[in-house]
Amino acid sequence: MFVPLKKNQRVELADGRTVTVTDKLGEGGQGIVYRVRFDDSGEERALKWFFIGYLKEPLKFYRHLEDNIKKGSPSAAFIWPEQLTKYVAGEPFGYIMKIFPKGYESFSKYLLARVQFQNAAAMVNAALNMVAAFKALHLKGYNYQDLNDGNFSIEPKSGKVFICDNDNVVGYGQKSGILGKARYMAPEVVRGDKQPDTDTDRYSLAVILFMLLVGDHPLEGKKTNYPALTNKYDLRIFGTEPLFIFDEKDSSNAPHPQIHQNALTMWKIFPSFVQKAFQQSFSQESLLNGKNRLLENEWFNILARLKSSIVRCPHCGEEMFLESDKISVCQSCKKSVKAVGYLKFPKRANREVTVPIFKGALLYDYHINSASEDFDTEVAVVLEKPGKFGLKNDSKIKWLITAPGGKTFARQAGETQILVADCKIDFGKNTAQVIVNN
Amino acid sequence: MGMLNKVEIVRKMCPVIFLLDTSGSMDGEPIGAVNEAIKNVLPELISMNEENPDNEIRVAILTFDYNVKWAVGETELVSPQDVENYWKNLDANGYTSMGAAFKALNEKLSVSKGFMKRASGSVAPVLFLLSDGEPTDDYKAGLQELQKNSWYKIAVRVAVGYGDFNEHILREFTGNEGTVLRTSDPDSLRNTIKFVAVTSSRVASQGSNVSTDTTNANPDDNTQAVADALENQGGALNAPLDPEDNF
Repeated sequence: MFVPLKKNQRVELADGRTVTVTDKLGEGGQGIVYRVRFDDSGEERALKWFFIGYLKEPLKFYRHLEDNIKKGSPSAAFIWPEQLTKYVAGEPFGYIMKIFPKGYESFSKYLLARVQFQNAAAMVNAALNMVAAFKALHLKGYNYQDLNDGNFSIEPKSGKVFICDNDNVVGYGQKSGILGKARYMAPEVVRGDKQPDTDTDRYSLAVILFMLLVGDHPLEGKKTNYPALTNKYDLRIFGTEPLFIFDEKDSSNAPHPQIHQNALTMWKIFPSFVQKAFQQSFSQESLLNGKNRLLENEWFNILARLKSSIVRCPHCGEEMFLESDKISVCQSCKKSVKAVGYLKFPKRANREVTVPIFKGALLYDYHINSASEDFDTEVAVVLEKPGKFGLKNDSKIKWLITAPGGKTFARQAGETQILVADCKIDFGKNTAQVIVNN
Repeated sequence: MGMLNKVEIVRKMCPVIFLLDTSGSMDGEPIGAVNEAIKNVLPELISMNEENPDNEIRVAILTFDYNVKWAVGETELVSPQDVENYWKNLDANGYTSMGAAFKALNEKLSVSKGFMKRASGSVAPVLFLLSDGEPTDDYKAGLQELQKNSWYKIAVRVAVGYGDFNEHILREFTGNEGTVLRTSDPDSLRNTIKFVAVTSSRVASQGSNVSTDTTNANPDDNTQAVADALENQGGALNAPLDPEDNF
């Protein structure tokens, strides 16, 4: 039977060390989370204490957690179980993990507009960090099972992400018995056709990204607006008759003009390559047949491209996403903006890599090194002077420029290269070409 | 308008409706315990709302004694924050018009003329009944009417019985033995109300994680989901009362 812990209560861990309960941090459907302190070192941890009545086979679940602890965390972004409490048959148990650093806010708070990102780059960073974490998880042979909004905490300034509640993460082919919340589950799982796996995680990831960027649910539109959400409707909306609110061919589930305000205003701010990625992720093929879902690598390159499309509108000064080769409309002042051209890099994961030639556009380590996944370190910025644009080398390496006539010369760190049609830049570990728009 | 200024994501409503016996026998310590319990429940509901992007809890409180009165939610369901801001302690006196209370609830459990008109829809409501004695009116007629209401059918139905309550009626109301809790001293009444109200509100507003382990014949039996939660988390009731070590 479940017994909550008390303040100052001492709990023994599997390795014999002990922790003392100092505070309660939160309570959820699966258990209670306490703040605890190691009795020997004084270090603080969080202790998740399970409502064991829900566990059909407590020992099996305990062993599963033990296994995950042994295999280790996929990346530093995961608040991974560190150690279990000692197992006593029939009694509650739990595990300790790190406590969230200060300054992180739950993803729910962003969705509820209680917290907002400091700037567009932080928002896109959050999306990139989520994708990177999932890639790490899947690379390690795990999948998530019950992914939902409650799993993420994000720093508003930087978009850094921590992922918690990793109890149900399992290895390929294993089943945790948990299916997750219908709103985030892949339709085939809602329909009962399939158990959660890496593919269904990828669907859930697309839902999370859509909610993060656009601010509404991808399948909730005017068609799904039922007065009572019972299991029957859950099954219909998220399982048997799912339809994307921005489906390319069928607009019958478009956002409701009075209700889905985020979807209506935010969708338009995103470049076509992001809209297309969502349309592919939530196409009928994906929803009904589980096909065409984007791999983490594809999302990663799409979002890196989105990050480098952030500029300030020349008319109103607000941040906007600028397409490389077509007109974008600033959603703050509704004026049109177009880049004179763009830098074109070799494709990555079969996705275009471009940066608009526009004042303030940034290149990251990702751009100058085709093996790099660093989307944070700025290595170049586009500068503007009347009638011309330049690319300032803020990296530590020397660039080799090939002019359209074939002449080559070097640009050292700190120097600026004027960007002219067809000129090529060799960054050492990657190259780019200047393409001028018509 | 910048790209970061989003509005709150669209949420369904999760109504949490209290039906509280404020008849004369509740006077004194018991009604004091009820007032304390409700005041303790509200911050929990507020924090659930701050963390839940799927559903938003809204509250109504119906009291029944001589009269049946919406102490909170006369015209519409109210945010727990507003209930807290405008809270007035409940008094107890008079008879036990439980049948009239069921009728009044039934009228409000309606989209067209009641509580349930939220544009984005609602999830199953929580219906919480507190009683400490025999009804003094025809409870049966009221309950039969209510039982035909389709919101009642999917609702999370929970009840707390205090003192000389009629167990049979509470079971009839919830339709599930597992969601009727009983107590006979005021301290434990306060804790029981809080435990039942918080647990049922959490289950209703968060929606349970669907599990492959349960062969659930009736997936909309939300009352059973709460019965499971009350059983699995029941230890919380035995927690000591000293606020120092009970957080």
